[in-house]
Amino acid sequence: MLARILAFERRLILNSPLFWIVALVFGGFGFAMMASDNVSFGGGIGNVHRNAPLVVINLLAAFSFLSPLLVTIFIAGAALRDFEQNTAEQFFTTPMRKRDYLLGRFGGGFIAACGVMVVCALGLFLGSKMPWLDQSRLGATPLGAYLWSFAILVVPNLLFLAALVFALATLTRSMLYTYLGVIGFVVLNVVAGNMTSNLDARWIGALADPFGSDALGDITRYWSSNDMNTRLPSLSGLLLANRALWLAAAGLLLIAAFRLFRSDREGLRWSRRKKVAAAAVTVEAGPTNSRIALPEIVLQDSPAAHWRQFLHQTRFELRGVLTGAPFLVMLLLGLLVMFTVLTFSGEIVGTKVLPVTSHMDTVLRGGLGLFLTLVLAVYAGELVWRERSLRIAEVADACAAPNWVALAAKYVTLVAVIAVFCVAGVLFCIGYQLAHGYTNIQPGLYVKIALLTALPFMITAALFMFLQTISENKFFGYLLIVIFIVARAGLPIAGYNHPLYNYGTGIPVPLSDMNGFGHFLLPALTFRAYWGALAIALLVLASAFWHRGTALTFRERLRLARARLARSSGRFVLAGSLVAFVALGVWIFYNTNIRNEYLSEDASKERRAEFEKANRPLKDEPQPRITAIKTDVDIFPTDLRVVVRGHYRLENRTQLPITQFIVDLDRDIVVRRLDFAAHSAARIDRANSFTIYKLEQPMAPGAQMDFDFELEIAERGFSATGVDSAIAYNGTFLNNIGVLPQFGYQQGRQLSDRNDRRKYGLPDIPRMAPIDDMAARANTYISSDADWIDFETTISTSPDQIALSPGYLEKEWTADVPGQGMRRFFHYKTDTKIVPFVSWLSARWAVKKDRWNDIAIEVYYDPQHPYNVDRMIAAVKKSLDYYTKNFSPYQFRQVRILEFPNFHGSFAQSFANTIPYSEAVGFIADLRNKDDIDYVFYITAHEVAHQWWAHQVIGGNVQGATMLSESLAQYSALMVMEHEFGATQMRKFLKYELDNYLRSRATERVKEQPLALNENQQYIHYRKASVVLYALKDYLGEDVVNATLAAFIKAKAFQPPPYTTSYELLDQLRAQSDPKWKPLIADLFDKITFFDDRVTSATAKKRDDGKYDVAISLHAEKKYTDGTGRETPGSVDIPIDIGVFARSADGKEANEKILFLDKRSVADGDSTITLTVDAEPYEVGIDPYNKLVDRNSEDNRKKVTLN
Amino acid sequence: MLAIRNLSKTYANGVHALKGISLDIPNGMFGLLGPNGAGKSTLMRTIATLQDPDSGSIHLDDLDILADKQSARRTLGYLPQEFGVYPKVTAEVMLDHFAMLKGVVDKKERKALVEALLRQVNLWEKRYFRLGTFSGGMRQRFGIAQALIGAPRLIIVDEPTAGLDPEERNRFLNLLAEVGEKVVVILSTHIVDDVTDLCPRMAIIAQGELRLVGEPLEAIRSLAGRVWRKTAAKEELATLREQHNLLSTRLVGGQPVVHILSDHSPGDGFALVAPNLEDVYFGELRRAATPVAQAA
Repeated sequence: MLARILAFERRLILNSPLFWIVALVFGGFGFAMMASDNVSFGGGIGNVHRNAPLVVINLLAAFSFLSPLLVTIFIAGAALRDFEQNTAEQFFTTPMRKRDYLLGRFGGGFIAACGVMVVCALGLFLGSKMPWLDQSRLGATPLGAYLWSFAILVVPNLLFLAALVFALATLTRSMLYTYLGVIGFVVLNVVAGNMTSNLDARWIGALADPFGSDALGDITRYWSSNDMNTRLPSLSGLLLANRALWLAAAGLLLIAAFRLFRSDREGLRWSRRKKVAAAAVTVEAGPTNSRIALPEIVLQDSPAAHWRQFLHQTRFELRGVLTGAPFLVMLLLGLLVMFTVLTFSGEIVGTKVLPVTSHMDTVLRGGLGLFLTLVLAVYAGELVWRERSLRIAEVADACAAPNWVALAAKYVTLVAVIAVFCVAGVLFCIGYQLAHGYTNIQPGLYVKIALLTALPFMITAALFMFLQTISENKFFGYLLIVIFIVARAGLPIAGYNHPLYNYGTGIPVPLSDMNGFGHFLLPALTFRAYWGALAIALLVLASAFWHRGTALTFRERLRLARARLARSSGRFVLAGSLVAFVALGVWIFYNTNIRNEYLSEDASKERRAEFEKANRPLKDEPQPRITAIKTDVDIFPTDLRVVVRGHYRLENRTQLPITQFIVDLDRDIVVRRLDFAAHSAARIDRANSFTIYKLEQPMAPGAQMDFDFELEIAERGFSATGVDSAIAYNGTFLNNIGVLPQFGYQQGRQLSDRNDRRKYGLPDIPRMAPIDDMAARANTYISSDADWIDFETTISTSPDQIALSPGYLEKEWTADVPGQGMRRFFHYKTDTKIVPFVSWLSARWAVKKDRWNDIAIEVYYDPQHPYNVDRMIAAVKKSLDYYTKNFSPYQFRQVRILEFPNFHGSFAQSFANTIPYSEAVGFIADLRNKDDIDYVFYITAHEVAHQWWAHQVIGGNVQGATMLSESLAQYSALMVMEHEFGATQMRKFLKYELDNYLRSRATERVKEQPLALNENQQYIHYRKASVVLYALKDYLGEDVVNATLAAFIKAKAFQPPPYTTSYELLDQLRAQSDPKWKPLIADLFDKITFFDDRVTSATAKKRDDGKYDVAISLHAEKKYTDGTGRETPGSVDIPIDIGVFARSADGKEANEKILFLDKRSVADGDSTITLTVDAEPYEVGIDPYNKLVDRNSEDNRKKVTLN
Repeated sequence: MLAIRNLSKTYANGVHALKGISLDIPNGMFGLLGPNGAGKSTLMRTIATLQDPDSGSIHLDDLDILADKQSARRTLGYLPQEFGVYPKVTAEVMLDHFAMLKGVVDKKERKALVEALLRQVNLWEKRYFRLGTFSGGMRQRFGIAQALIGAPRLIIVDEPTAGLDPEERNRFLNLLAEVGEKVVVILSTHIVDDVTDLCPRMAIIAQGELRLVGEPLEAIRSLAGRVWRKTAAKEELATLREQHNLLSTRLVGGQPVVHILSDHSPGDGFALVAPNLEDVYFGELRRAATPVAQAA
């Protein structure tokens, strides 16, 4: 019997066009993912093969996210089919067993969904076989990975989802509740995903994610390129637990569905409803009618009547949607998503941010995204098909209300759904702010935020209505909607990133507490208006296509729609909105493609490649050095305009005469005047911001020259990627590399990704010059046309703002400038030579001043962000204290911190005695919990350290350069932090650094380098360096390391070219430390080293004298890897911490008592150690504080078994 | 009077649902009889403006229904064959909603109308009950109530008594008979007794063509003396079907009872019976497609 039903189901599936359409769509997506050169999704970048096992698994896992669609189509469809089509009774009256019926229905849908995923995998497979793919980026076909994905992820996910949906569908017999379950499933995944950013909550997320993707992420978190290319994840740990958990849940759901299923008409009835139903039956129908005269009424058919019909129907639909339990549950789920985003987003090293309104804005506009889109998709389908699925349509259609009444009422209902979500979201955010003691509530701003949040959803909702209306049935409509959602997300990934053709998209509107929405708002609204106009047109079209009367073929409907349009006034609305759409589109195109340049990713790479081919030979052309920069910078914040009158003093420091100047200047900057020795323009390549000027008289070696220029940087509308943000109403931030001319061929413009280079026919070049390249050491890693310079600037700005630049304030005045009104001027000047990296900022700041000895400390901050200013000042003082004591004197008389708006980035950057510091980091950190890591203190200490590491000693432009600036700044900050907060906080911080390093290795595009040879790789020079340098200090001692650094500064500070290298520092280090540390130094700096240390068993025995003998079995192992992660064994030749700990009274690890802690030499592999301690031991550990790079730091400790 | 002229409709799948139907329907109840798939529902939906014919015209007095659907809908009451409800909405709210959609936008008028309608169909006591809890008969009465909104000049009722128990059916037909005196009421059905009981005029439709238009009594009278009955053995049926113009076979107490049409006695156990409308109906269905018989 069961076999027969399954066969029946299979026939149904294979004959169903829906199955084939869905399968082809999925297969097509799969094929495109693999076969398109532009798509880099799933991790196939750098050295990782496009079809590497883990890439295949990630891709199939990603497609698995679409399985909710599959199960709703195939399982909910199958489960509800007999009820919707009234064949239920037929089935239930046949002598079929319940088990057979249920399993048949369930199995059929399940097989169909699996079938679609198989076609999808087939698409991936075929895609990887396409001849146009770069063969060097493909590995052997990982059949095992396909099988693994299906066995571990795809099929179990489908099984669980199918069980969920089937249970809901059979029990509630309601589509809406079924969708609700699916949405809840997605929400669980989102919530779990948010938890993975917090190292302590990560495991909860990995378990709770029903897709298993977070658990997979956990297992493969630290995989190298080589691992990704060769390994299959093991089914163990969190992944195994996760799979077991959700498979068990699937089983329970199926049992529940089976047990509670009733084959009569009524479905599952809850007891409360049963009573109501019973009451209805007892009321008897009463006698036959009595004759009642109907009142005289007038049927109206005027526009006013239509309007009232529309209002009425809107109320009717609203009541149907908003009062339903499903809506309430969806709303609560939405708030749950927001809550997890609020709780976990913005965290830096586990420390939360204050709930400022700009943060609430990212949560509101970002957090609701996919969730509300899905809710709208569900309701669009339900609303459009509501009358039809309830078989009310014939009566409603025969009523006299015009088509637009129903359509508009349903659309307004969707808008109301959006509004309820937005308002609830805003109230939730306000509540969250108040609950966290934040009282600066900005209702006016929230109104704007709510509108900006709602508009894109309204535009999307219109499209959903349209797609459902033109579809022949609800499921086809849903399919179109899903295709749209995937395409909208997929187009930019595939390199088609112009918002002009991606429905409903636009350009970012960042909200900054400092700047509000600023000048970003109008362009963003232009895009909203553009798509809004199309949305209106789509709604008019939808009303022309509106289902009324008997189902027709599409061709008939097309004819009917045309006829309806021809005689309705809707055609004027359609024409009007299309005209507006086109007009706005032309305006947008003018901005994005004419006033600004638009290049697809491909075209931009190609241009860079062409540029390199034509101009790379010029890279060794002798060029002048800038020895002094003097500028007058006029900032007009409200006009979004800056005028720069600049002066360079140039010198020929080469041995050759200079015949031509190669000038690089951003193509969008207008050169008003360029004044230097007699010259002619030999080549102007505006597209590449590149000009060659031929000097009539070559510049002789040693000669000096003036170079004057006047530039204008003005607002140019907006581009396809956004609005230029350098100049803002409040918070302008410019630097010389961005806006001043630079000399020479800029190697930074070259393509660096190896795969790109191969694709565009460029030879492989090193990402950075080798460390022994003396020619490259003629430059620092931040400038190729200057050494140490004199700097002087006058900045003017509007009178309500302060303008700042490196240097000491010589004079400040306000003057009425003809044609410009009142202007405020600041004149800054340095009295020592500085690194050629300077900035100009202007904003409305509050100022807090302090002193450390004779050094002035000033923090320029937004009046709304006073929270952590004192922490910053304290950090500056402690830093100056430590660095002057241990390294060298501070070369300036001031330290200034300047807050800048978040849209410039989330970083802080050290210019000479001046540190611009993003509002997004530090100023809004929530430091009220003293256990959290005070990263404000850390970042400040790091930036102050740069005044030594970069502004005193700076590396030549070769491998390892950033070790001398970033890594040493990291080390310096760690030391200041350790003295401030103690070792426990350090361990917490380093845990994040280690995690970040290990995780980022997989994203390496070229190859991982050892620290001393790192090629400006952030995960190495910041993250790994923290761990490595802390370990160095731990082994060698703080005094030895600091003495080395002091000696290094003494030798290299303010040196002329050739600039120093990381090897010179290491030489110094080896010279100043005990020779026994040479292997350690090599492991830390010259190699990529991993330890695998763990305690395998630990027992203790109480002795008669009250002491304890502790026996520890250890495993110690050292491995080296190459740049792609291939491992070779090493031998453990350095002593490692062995610790024995007693449990603290409060059970916290931070307060544990150390019974024994010492570095011990341990043998390779397994060994045992026996120790005697004074008190009862609780835990033992090898490298218990995770000072060494170890990919599994959890097993370094073990609880002691007492014998 | 509803005047239908040359109405034809062929579906995309090739089914020829209406083949040039022309029909005049005066005020009063008009029965439309036909087997399933005869084209009844297509005709009903077309008159109810839910579907366009390929050709032909429909006029209600001066009103061109196909050209001016919006006006037609204001003169129309329609109870479709498959009539669903919002299960969680009460009868009163639902009727109010339909009244609004039909154009009764004045709140007071609507309230009075809804009350009168519910009283008329005897659902006033149940106005606060959710429609999901209604029995089949109550639901059909509710259907009639909504069809009566706005004093329609044309009421179309498609298979209204299918699935009702005899008592509910009687109640429903009485109600229909009362409202159907001054306006055109088209009752489409395949239950012959509905027509016999209610309709002064009727038509029989089969395979998209009209087979008979006229008064039921007149049609019955035309068969007087020509319908013969016999209780037959099961084995005989095939022979009887071959030899005679067999109208119907039905089981009475387990024995097949056949009616045949014959101008003279077929002899052998056949007895003359008084014809009823069912005989007319089956007679028309059995006849080869011939021009419409005018029996009136």
